[in-house]
Amino acid sequence: MSSPRFPIPQGTLDMLILQILSLEPAHGYGIAQRLEQVSQSVVQINQGSLYPALHRLEQKEWLQAEWKQSETGREAKFYSLTRSGRKQLAVERKSWARLTGAVQLIFDEGNG
Amino acid sequence: MKQFLNWFRRGNLERGLDRELRYHVDRRIDDLVNSGLTEAEARRQATLELGGLTQIREEVRDVWLTRWLRDFVFDLRFSARSFLRSPSFTFTAVLSLALGIGATTAIYSLVDQIVLRALPVHQPERLVLVDWKGDQLAETRGSFNLMSYPFYRDLRLQEHIFEGVFCRHATTVNLSTGSEPKPAAAEIVSGTYFSVLGVSPALGRVLDSDDDQAPGASPVVVLAYDFWKNQLAGAPDVVGRKVLVNQYPMTVVGVASAEFRGIDVGEVPSLWIPASMTAKAIPGWNGLSHRRSRWVQVLGRLRPGVTLAQAQASLQPWFKAMLDEDARREGFRSVTPERRARFLASTIELTAARQGHSALRRRLAQPLWVLFAATAVLLGLACLNVAGLFLARGVGRDREINTRMALGASRGRVGRQFLADSLLYALAGGLLGMMLAPLAMRTLIAFLPPDVAANNLQSSVDSRVLLFSLLVSTAAGLLSGLAPALLTGRKSLISALRDRGGTSFDGVRLRKVFMIAQIAFTLILITGAALFVRTLTGLLEKGPGFSTTSLISFGLNPRRNGYTSVEASRLIRRIQEDIRNSPVTQTSAVASMQLLAGGSWNNPLTIQANERFATDRDVHLNAISPGFFSTLGTRIVAGRDFDERDARPLGETGARSAIVNEAFVKRYFGARSPLGALICLGAGPNAKPNIEIVGVVTDFSYRGMREESEQAYFAIVEGAVTNGNFYVRVRGTPEKAFQQIRTLIHEADAALPITYLRTLDEQVGRSLNTERMLAALLGGFGTMALLLSLVGLYGVMSFVVTQRTCEIGIRLALGATRSSALGLVLRDALAMITAGTAIGLSCVWGLGRLVESQLFGVKPTDPFVIAAATLLLTSAALAAALIPAYRASNVDPTDALRFE
Repeated sequence: MSSPRFPIPQGTLDMLILQILSLEPAHGYGIAQRLEQVSQSVVQINQGSLYPALHRLEQKEWLQAEWKQSETGREAKFYSLTRSGRKQLAVERKSWARLTGAVQLIFDEGNG
Repeated sequence: MKQFLNWFRRGNLERGLDRELRYHVDRRIDDLVNSGLTEAEARRQATLELGGLTQIREEVRDVWLTRWLRDFVFDLRFSARSFLRSPSFTFTAVLSLALGIGATTAIYSLVDQIVLRALPVHQPERLVLVDWKGDQLAETRGSFNLMSYPFYRDLRLQEHIFEGVFCRHATTVNLSTGSEPKPAAAEIVSGTYFSVLGVSPALGRVLDSDDDQAPGASPVVVLAYDFWKNQLAGAPDVVGRKVLVNQYPMTVVGVASAEFRGIDVGEVPSLWIPASMTAKAIPGWNGLSHRRSRWVQVLGRLRPGVTLAQAQASLQPWFKAMLDEDARREGFRSVTPERRARFLASTIELTAARQGHSALRRRLAQPLWVLFAATAVLLGLACLNVAGLFLARGVGRDREINTRMALGASRGRVGRQFLADSLLYALAGGLLGMMLAPLAMRTLIAFLPPDVAANNLQSSVDSRVLLFSLLVSTAAGLLSGLAPALLTGRKSLISALRDRGGTSFDGVRLRKVFMIAQIAFTLILITGAALFVRTLTGLLEKGPGFSTTSLISFGLNPRRNGYTSVEASRLIRRIQEDIRNSPVTQTSAVASMQLLAGGSWNNPLTIQANERFATDRDVHLNAISPGFFSTLGTRIVAGRDFDERDARPLGETGARSAIVNEAFVKRYFGARSPLGALICLGAGPNAKPNIEIVGVVTDFSYRGMREESEQAYFAIVEGAVTNGNFYVRVRGTPEKAFQQIRTLIHEADAALPITYLRTLDEQVGRSLNTERMLAALLGGFGTMALLLSLVGLYGVMSFVVTQRTCEIGIRLALGATRSSALGLVLRDALAMITAGTAIGLSCVWGLGRLVESQLFGVKPTDPFVIAAATLLLTSAALAAALIPAYRASNVDPTDALRFE
């Protein structure tokens, strides 16, 4: 815990998981590492909350899971996006873009 | 929903999660070791990052099952474990609920089948029954909502209101499908019957309008599916076969669909006959085209979008015009101006008929609702009892509950545990009750008279009943668990943990309120039971007005076996002769109408005494052979019995003399003698009184046991009677006589079925089966209620005594006598009993009016019945309270004080 990191904004974890899985199927540990990498250690993700989130998304049928051999040769549970998961990702991306766009506008106005 | 399914595969889910998490940790350790950490440090850091495996598992489980469901399942498991620890408690509670739920379910099933359920036809909610309000001035055949066949024909033309109209008449025919003819239930129907109902054939075709054109032109029948399966072994070549209906050949054109069993739940026909064949189906009667002959029920299917009220309103002008036309028609009945006015003022009335038409429903609907209400009260009692038991057990669990609350459980959370407890009990009780219900239903159905027509009542639990039972069980569970749940943790934790023995004041007070309600409920049921038992015994004591010992009866209907009326009459005389000469016979006689079978021949009469007047209501009539009264053992109080003098010379028809009963004399002659007065059938100006009253007979029951009606009897003369109801007072046992009679009739005509053969005791029993059902069931419910509330009272009093042990001990130590301790407790019990009785009595007073019409010879407020019920309840309740009271008086002061 060297540099101060942002706690992940509420509700964005699901979106990030969907985004990561939209590239390729991955297991839980893979997703955790990927999150760590892409957020460049800026965003702090509690790894403990990853698994409940995965199961929640699976329950909603946005994800499907399958036991497959992993890169180390051991069986791991691989998650991938379902069709409705893909749709959901599109929806969340759009609303995220609108939200950040709106926030940006407010900031721009303050500066201008 | 998914969460529920997850519950069943949670083992799999758990294993999967374990593997998944283990993989994560192992990979992380590997990576950390690779980056230079020691194995132990790596493991530590990996675990730390995840933040506690147990917590993750819990969170994931919450995802699987949702929080609420998981908690509830744990509660249920906890409840189940604690139930198994106290089996006697569980047994009592579950049995109480099972009795309540089982009884409610059984009665509901009958209510559903007889009163509520719609016919299994296309859109039954659009069916309506057409009825005539007013005077039809018509001759009657059958009972309830009768109309004429031409009326049905006219109504069919009202196409802007009805999509279709049909009519039907239930009857019995002698049906022969190859072997000997047997009586079978038949429905005479219009050609539109099947198409309007929307019933399709299972085989061949159903009847259509072509079958119902010219009278006598279409000798065809459609068989009922069950009859075809059971009696004809489901023969695939049945279509095209000839069967004999009353010895007349008719062709089977089809079999109706399996689920359709006619429109009367109480009378399932074996076959359908088109109305055009009525003359063959009802030999010796042809009122088919007669406008003043009411015998069919008419039902219609409303056009979509037409409401009942609209239909009824728009039919009135047409109906009025029809009445006027009828009244002007040539040969219209000559009647008094008042009756003519009543005829012209008649209106047409429609009622919803989604359940079809049923005489059984008319007869049983009210008794069934009474029974249903009784089971509801019984179930309420069972719930109160279980709630009381819970409260009592709650005391034993005080420490457990207080510990849970001290550890941070909320009141709601602990209360939910109580609800889970009671729900589990109720569902177990419901399950047991549902297993008992079919047995109870079979018993109930056995109370209904077994007749030629089978009824359509099932004793199995179907999905509707199952749903009902489930709802009732859940409601019972919630009700019985609510009070204990609400009482949870009402006192402060500190005092609760410090205090060892007792519970709050609320517990005692609530329990007493429960007890008072139980006493009140029980009193209602016991009084109800007493009233109906009194009704039944009253009717049995009164008897039918004649002695039933060694009296048997049987019926013959030769016209249904192809006899002409002259042949039939001859056969009946011959059999009458044979019976009279048989060694088993003491005396015998024949009547044209059967006694105590619900029906009668009735008509208004015109009386010519000092003045001429018409009876103000129908007189019940019967034609009998000489010796009828002496066979029944009724007395002729004035005048004489019939003899040869009353026979008419050959070629003349009609009676020449009559015997009336005492009720008739009382109503129309007062104190004067009726002998010598003349009477005749009919009340119109054209009636010619020419029948002389020659005797007066004591009153006895005709249609049923309850009635006291005016009756008149005519002598059977040759050719006048074509069906015979024989009354025989026998020597020796009835069984021997039955044997003899069967042989005798077989010798006379081997193909002639006996329509019935039974003792008069059995006939009386049959005519009282509704009363017997009410008395037996309410008696049973009353007994159950009494037992339940005695158990409850015993429990509450034991509890009170335990609560007051210390106080009583101090009193005794200070010099109170044992009897005063006894009195102390009994006074408590007596206060509850008195309060409960007072509430119960006021309910009885209010509810009594609802059942008044079902009672006989006893008022719902009968002081004797109410006093007896109250006395029974009070003494039984005091006895139940006596045991704990006695224990209280035997308290050892030293023990009691040490207890503190």
